[in-house]
Amino acid sequence: MNARESIMAAIRDAKPADVARPDVRSVVARFPQPANLKETFAGSVALAGARFIEGPRSELPRLIAAAYPDWGRRVSVMEASDAADEERSPHSFADTDVFICEATLAVAENGAVWLPLSRLRHRSAVFLATNVIIVVDRACIVADLHEGYASLDVARDGGVFVAGPSKTADIEQALVIGAHGPTSLTIVLVDGAG
Amino acid sequence: MTASRTLPVVEPTVVDHAAAAARFNANPERVTWHDEALWFVREKRDHAMTDVAEWETLRELASSIKEHTLSRLDEYLLMFESAATANGVVVHWARNAEEHNRIVHRILESHGVRKLVKSKSMLTEECGLNPFLEARGIDVVDTDLGERIVQMRREHPSHIVMPAIHLKKEEIAETFAAQLGTEPGVSDPIALVAAARGHLRERFLAAEAALTGVNFAIAETGGIVVCTNEGNADLGIALAPIHIASMGIEKVIPGTAELAVFLRLLARSGTGQRLTVYTSHIHRPREGQELHIVLVDNGRTTQLGRAGFWRSLKCIRCGACMNTCPVYRRSGGHSYGSTVPGPIGSVLTPGIDLEKYASLPFASTLCGSCSAVCPVKIDLDAQLYRWRQIVADAGHVTAKKRHTVRIGATVLAQPRVFAFLGRATRLALRMLPQSIVAAVAAPWSRDRDVPVPAPQSFRAWYKANRISRRPGGEQ
Repeated sequence: MNARESIMAAIRDAKPADVARPDVRSVVARFPQPANLKETFAGSVALAGARFIEGPRSELPRLIAAAYPDWGRRVSVMEASDAADEERSPHSFADTDVFICEATLAVAENGAVWLPLSRLRHRSAVFLATNVIIVVDRACIVADLHEGYASLDVARDGGVFVAGPSKTADIEQALVIGAHGPTSLTIVLVDGAG
Repeated sequence: MTASRTLPVVEPTVVDHAAAAARFNANPERVTWHDEALWFVREKRDHAMTDVAEWETLRELASSIKEHTLSRLDEYLLMFESAATANGVVVHWARNAEEHNRIVHRILESHGVRKLVKSKSMLTEECGLNPFLEARGIDVVDTDLGERIVQMRREHPSHIVMPAIHLKKEEIAETFAAQLGTEPGVSDPIALVAAARGHLRERFLAAEAALTGVNFAIAETGGIVVCTNEGNADLGIALAPIHIASMGIEKVIPGTAELAVFLRLLARSGTGQRLTVYTSHIHRPREGQELHIVLVDNGRTTQLGRAGFWRSLKCIRCGACMNTCPVYRRSGGHSYGSTVPGPIGSVLTPGIDLEKYASLPFASTLCGSCSAVCPVKIDLDAQLYRWRQIVADAGHVTAKKRHTVRIGATVLAQPRVFAFLGRATRLALRMLPQSIVAAVAAPWSRDRDVPVPAPQSFRAWYKANRISRRPGGEQ
């Protein structure tokens, strides 16, 4: 017997009596919902250590420029812009100061935003850049992860939930923002069409 | 496979938890510091939990999802394998630590890999992967900061979520000064983290392969989920041309509806965060990358077959049972001599080697705090108690303990003897000098004052008070 067959045989020999699959969807449908999605989301973002700014989508460049006054003197990558068309190795983003991309979903209860990684051309920049700015459309906010997964196709897109800048508390439980990944995360909540 | 057995991963000495705990307790200030650091995390968990009105329902759901999945583990693993394979993932199966290590080495060797970065994986600790690969000329760098610190110090993690929780920042500063060239005496965590960031960034960029652990494997989609705060797993995955993910077979869950339940519990229980910073869902390799997933048994099917213990496999490795355990907090993770310490480690590890780990089920007050905080409702205290009976039946307790318990059982079974001994003890406590009493009660009395004897027994008090004061037959 190969390893696979022998593990299968061992499981069939050992497994306990059948336990029914709980009906998760009908249970979670009864959970209380936050009264104000945007406020709950903003509170969770702050708790996760990220900066939160908001404004109309048409003013996005101004919002970002205000968040990073010395913008323009830095290397920056804007996902989905013309500059993103060039083929670059994942390693080439090591010195990126600012990376900007847009999330397709945001979760009020924990402040996480969903980036469909396999659809991002510059996925390594999400983790390599010193500062990350993630744009979120207000219409993308859902109450909790239950609602979030109901509308995501994780198998098609792959992806990552990002909640705050990278951090560690491995030295004496002292929270340090900026572990191996970004040292800052800014969530820009936009309203209305572009 | 009929490959010859290699040396056991951990040295086959018997773990004496009480003796190791006594060594840890030689420095009372340090014990207090350790105790408070962990209690702080436990309080953060309490705070995060109270924000979620449906918390207890989530725990119930999580427990029943895991029990369901374990009861059909064969079906879900095959479902996972077939979906992952369809996604372009190479799935491997390993019966034990040795097979796991050989599979990982074979993948690395076939690509000529010399530089491997690893994110946190207690399974590879369990399998002894690092020494196995290092002996074969591969440079293995643990990239979780806590794991990197203990790796640099040639130690093992003392906690599954906070591997360096036993170390003071001054000790870490010494290690960094010696190995990373930081200024000696600079122990500010911000400066130390910055130094580690620079050091590890180079390793990420130079890595020829990345190995990660797995928090959840989704059977229906064939994907894996990896949770970190530091971003280290993602840097490895995003940069290296080969990604190997090692997982115990109990990590599989049915689908993403179930995943949501576990993710809402995991970080809140572990560190008090609402979610880890990065929750990565990996379903297929990047363009030009290879993705291998190694499914490991290593004793899990044996535990699955133990009627009193199979529910320990529900564990999602949040570490909450350690943070709350009065024994763990005051004895330190290394005193358990096992990859997974604390209450869950004391339930999992005796199943691997009963004689070696016979002392672990006794590293508990059976207070039940672990079971109360467990997000998947493992009956940890009941399982610890079950292991104690098995350990005693197998003859792995000292003669002194065996005889004491036997005498205790005899006395408690005979009310007259019990009452007589109670009177005799109260009298002795009043008459004899403290020094003699303390000597008789040793080692119990070493850290405790012998109590002042009550003037009468509880039964005598009850007869005199409770019954006589009963007003008109009430109560």
